[in-house]
Amino acid sequence: MKLAITGTPGTGKTTAAQLLEPDVVHLNEVIRERGLYTETDDTRDSRVVDFDQTEAWLAEREPTIVESHLAHHFEAERVVVLRCHPEKLRRRLRERGESEASAEENAEAEALDVILVEALDRHADVYEIDTTDQDPSAVATEINRVLADERKPSAGNVDFTDYL
Amino acid sequence: MSSGSDERWGIAHIHASFNNTIITITDETGAETLAKSSGGSVVKQNRDEASPYAAMQMAEVVAEDIMAQGLEGVHVRVRGPGGNLQKNAGPGAQAAIRALARAGLEIGRIEDVTPIPHDGTRPPKNSGF
Ligand SMILES: Nc1ncnc2c1ncn2[C@@H]1O[C@H](COP(=O)(O)OP(=O)(O)O)[C@@H](O)[C@H]1O
Ligand SMILES: [Mg+2]
Repeated sequence: MKLAITGTPGTGKTTAAQLLEPDVVHLNEVIRERGLYTETDDTRDSRVVDFDQTEAWLAEREPTIVESHLAHHFEAERVVVLRCHPEKLRRRLRERGESEASAEENAEAEALDVILVEALDRHADVYEIDTTDQDPSAVATEINRVLADERKPSAGNVDFTDYL
Repeated sequence: MSSGSDERWGIAHIHASFNNTIITITDETGAETLAKSSGGSVVKQNRDEASPYAAMQMAEVVAEDIMAQGLEGVHVRVRGPGGNLQKNAGPGAQAAIRALARAGLEIGRIEDVTPIPHDGTRPPKNSGF
């Protein structure tokens, strides 16, 4: 079972994935360490990822679980989309040391369901999990339920547009 | 497209999420809100709030409102992928823009300013759709 764990930065992907049993690829680290990017976006202090190179790296290694806000852009049998209320997300990102501009753009992306819609655009089996009031171990339990076939695909269960 | 010096223009901000569409009209600086509507105000069912039909209804109402306030035209800023499992991004936004034009507003620049999730890495532009 190839699983992608995606969601806006700050939704808790890395934290929850560290609690999972199988080996998890933290794709953003791989992209940084192996230079799988084409250029930098200075206004966002970010590397622009080379999807072809990243896809080739993934095809060679075939990991079971991939965790990244880009994971849904690649092949997977199931896709978990972690969600978090944008107000809480923005606070978490500020506490993690991100700039106000970055925290705000990510919070707005979360309010507009950007990653959810991208995931649904490419994948049939999408599982949306609202983590707003869940601790990391509860989120990990829900991800394990997806792996164990104990959850049904779901999308559109939250509406965060009150943030806008 | 051209806004003469005696014409008053505004900005139509269209937010299109999976479940909802929100249209806000501001002055040209973006500071003052002149009209606002969200999907929930024009349709009864939650699941219809992001539909092109809701966007069209909202656009008709706000267009009438801002034309009464003396606006001649709007520049458009679209944020968000749009919803309801449509294959193309922003079907609600497109319906809204057409309805604004049909109501008699001039349409100026149309910009897609959808936020890009990032945390040190980001996808290339237009990778999602
Ligand atoms: N379920 C949670 N509840 C509260 N805080 C969380 C939760 N998951 C993560 N966090 C905190 O939020 C921040 C972002 O978490 P992280 O796992 O790095 O997110 P992501 O990998 O999705 O960007 C971290 O400071 C982390 O400690
Ligand atoms: Mg992370």
